[in-house]
Amino acid sequence: MAGTALAPGKVRVKTTSAMRGHRSRIALVNAVPVTVFLLVLFVYPIIGVLSLSLKGDNGAFTLHWYADALSGANLSVLVSTLRISAETAVLSLLVGFVLAHAIARMRPVFAALAMLIVVVPHFISALVRTYGWIIMLGEHGLINSLATSVHLPGAPYSLLYNETGVVIGTTSVMLPYTVLVLQGVMRGVDGRLLAAAAGFGASRFTIFTRIYLPLVAPGIGTAGLLSFILCLGYYITPALMGGDKQTVVAALIDQQVMKQDQWNSAAAFGVILLLLTFAGLGVLGLAKLRRKKTAARRSSS
Amino acid sequence: MMELPATRAGHVGRALSATAILLFLAMPIVIILVTSFGTDGIGTFPPEHYSTRWYEQMAAPGGNWATSIALSSLVASLTTVFSLVLGVTAATALARGRLPLHAAVYGLVLAPMLIPQVVIALGLFLFFEPAGMLGSPLAIALGHTVLAAPIAILIMISTLKGIDERLEDAAASMGAGRMTIARRITFPLATPGLIAAAVFSFITSFDEFFIAQFLSTPDTRTLPVLVFNALQFDVDPTVTAVSAVLIALAILALALVALVRKLGGHRNQQGGVLPVEPLT
Amino acid sequence: MPERTHTINTGRLSADELAAVLAPQSNAPTGKSLSVRGLRKSYSGTTVVDGVDMDIAAGEFVTFLGSSGSGKTTTLMMLAGFTEPDSGTIAVDGRDITELNPGKRDFGFVFQQYLLFPHMTVEENVAFPLTLRGVPKAEIRRRVGETLEAAGLSKFAGRKPRELSGGQQQRVALCRVLVYRPPIVLMDEPLGALDKKLRDQMQTEIKSIQRELGLTVIYVTHDQEEALVLSDRIAIMKDGRIEQFDTPRGLFEHPRTPFVADFLGAANFLTGKVEESTADGSTPVRLDTGGVLKARAHPCAPGQRVRAAVRPGKLRLVSAEESCCSGTVETAVYVGSLTRITVRLDGAAPGTAPLRIETAAAPPRIGERVCVTADREDVSVFDESDGG
Repeated sequence: MAGTALAPGKVRVKTTSAMRGHRSRIALVNAVPVTVFLLVLFVYPIIGVLSLSLKGDNGAFTLHWYADALSGANLSVLVSTLRISAETAVLSLLVGFVLAHAIARMRPVFAALAMLIVVVPHFISALVRTYGWIIMLGEHGLINSLATSVHLPGAPYSLLYNETGVVIGTTSVMLPYTVLVLQGVMRGVDGRLLAAAAGFGASRFTIFTRIYLPLVAPGIGTAGLLSFILCLGYYITPALMGGDKQTVVAALIDQQVMKQDQWNSAAAFGVILLLLTFAGLGVLGLAKLRRKKTAARRSSS
Repeated sequence: MMELPATRAGHVGRALSATAILLFLAMPIVIILVTSFGTDGIGTFPPEHYSTRWYEQMAAPGGNWATSIALSSLVASLTTVFSLVLGVTAATALARGRLPLHAAVYGLVLAPMLIPQVVIALGLFLFFEPAGMLGSPLAIALGHTVLAAPIAILIMISTLKGIDERLEDAAASMGAGRMTIARRITFPLATPGLIAAAVFSFITSFDEFFIAQFLSTPDTRTLPVLVFNALQFDVDPTVTAVSAVLIALAILALALVALVRKLGGHRNQQGGVLPVEPLT
Repeated sequence: MPERTHTINTGRLSADELAAVLAPQSNAPTGKSLSVRGLRKSYSGTTVVDGVDMDIAAGEFVTFLGSSGSGKTTTLMMLAGFTEPDSGTIAVDGRDITELNPGKRDFGFVFQQYLLFPHMTVEENVAFPLTLRGVPKAEIRRRVGETLEAAGLSKFAGRKPRELSGGQQQRVALCRVLVYRPPIVLMDEPLGALDKKLRDQMQTEIKSIQRELGLTVIYVTHDQEEALVLSDRIAIMKDGRIEQFDTPRGLFEHPRTPFVADFLGAANFLTGKVEESTADGSTPVRLDTGGVLKARAHPCAPGQRVRAAVRPGKLRLVSAEESCCSGTVETAVYVGSLTRITVRLDGAAPGTAPLRIETAAAPPRIGERVCVTADREDVSVFDESDGG
């Protein structure tokens, strides 16, 4: 038999792999383009922003630009950016929650249609959507003509070129994110838990606040923070739908670079936005880590 | 399945609120599509008379609009090529290989989706300005690739993960070499994902405003830059027609992706388009 | 077996005819021999395959049988080349192929999950290995057509795999391998996802094709019956080792370890001490429960503690005069062709399992005093230290 060709028990240790061999080397080679690209065109430019923000006119180290950014009119721009972001986060959470909750209980066909209406605008230019809002919210726009025709008190309302307009616009931009996140957690809620609570005689309000909300709380946190973060550096809607008072940090940066050649100051604002974003992401990451740990504890006990 | 039965009031309430919100979301888009055919541009809604004059003005050869549409198309095409190359290679590394520092590379890929675009735009401006590349379509495309590549990568990762690797093993067991497997098994199965990645890269670039604004010069303005200026400064009713075209383009692109996925037949998750899933 | 083939393949050619289509002109076996030496594999410190040695003859149907985690699939994957062994060699007809890529080994591999290419039609799937081999187009068309025809799949040629049932998909997967006539075919639980009836039918088909073509088949399963039906020899695997490699009859009648005795069909285990061997060459064992059971010849010293194993069907109820072990009938259940009886031996420690006996003879009453014995050739003896 064939076995005679081989010394029995001959032991040979191979270091190379046969079939999927060199997998980590192939992975490394394939990871090179994106890593190099992002290091050169993403990380390096951001480091450039950082170093510019710390350089005085004479090139020496200074915190002057930060002091400048955090005082006077500049500070109020920062504050109003944070305020608009917070308002947007809350509003998009509320609207997103109502919508996601309704979608979770719709028949599949309607749910799919609803998701289509939520997601499709995400792929339409934000400029275009903002323009649509401008037409709709204007003094003679659809909303106001409707409100006037049914004689709502106080109509026409001023919905444009103020903070209301900005928040309406940004909320519609953030809504796809919040709905998707909330829908994810809502789908994970076991309907039998709610029915079980009802079986104990809990009222609908109690079931909602004591069972449902805690179950979807992680999603609410994530969705809120995500829209807050994404709102921080947002520009198009505030610039087009806001009035003079609704200058946001992004608009200020644009102004300083395009009109005033104040690059250092713009860079300082950029870094502040960056830090705020990192802080938000940090909170998100911590929450995720804690959930993971609790889950690990639960499964181990 | 046992569930809490819905009350009639709850049912009606949910249906009404959902309808109102969805209408609210859809209205701005519908309004633009309708207004673009109105004779008096941005006027009352609905328009009293209809025409295609704004579309004719938009397409007028040599005009600002036609020029910027051409520039945007060029930039978006370049961006698509770049981000497909990055998408395929990076996804291969992240989805298939045993990549050292996997988390770091993945984090780097996700970062451009979350970092404020104004910071990226400012950085790119500082990067390209000394090189005298402001206004260069290549510079704008490279900048757009920073935003588009992560989307393409996420799509390609979910595509590659959706392909059973053992199909490649099966082909190998019959004697297929690495190139043959890539050409005859992996590539055809990844085609729907590739098309989706290309379409979304193109759209991302075609619609991008901030980076283009920072990297443009008065002579080279992409379509969104022109739209923004038209909205902020001179109210040119042609912008309504342009907006309608942008809407149509987005819907066509989504329809194309949906069609390709359906034809592909094997299920691919819809994920990877919004940076939502990696975060939750 | 052939009768079964006949009744099952209504509406299409029999497996024998499929084999006839696929067979080369000569009648010589097309299979090749395989020999494995010292195959080992461990994953992060856990040894999965711990030294497998075996010689498989050309045209032989060999099955790796074992529970999950026994190392049977890993061994198969190493033979196929998908998993790289830590050490050891694999040779085909004397040629070392340990280092070769899967595709270079010229094996056929049938996967449990079929793994048909979803973007290709049935026809394209079956043609795929032939196109890799540069077979001319016309011949590809002819061979694919014949193979599909023989497998009764012609009318599905243009369909995509997802439009086929599980059984049809597995038949296509089989065609896709057989169409290029690999001398050695490896199968990883290919019928695991099918229902019982379909599985029986496919077993018959696989067996007749293998016999007809003289293929060497190495098959992995955890299904004992499947292994017994298909195999020329079975390798029973446990903890990464081959426990015993033998014909089904050899395994059944001469298990070499308690594990094998218990794994293939059930066995009663009785502990005791070896007595002075008698003139008839048997090994008498004085059981702890009392009585003497004669076992077949076993090299062990008198006084050694052993375990004796007897299958339920081999135990007989006898009159008390013979050398036998007495006990009381606890249960007697008539299950059709035979009666299942449990007997508690006198002196058995409380909590130990009673003897299981299967008999076609007139069953005793419950509570009746009986005496149990077995032919010595049906009693295996193992050192007490052996596991199992």
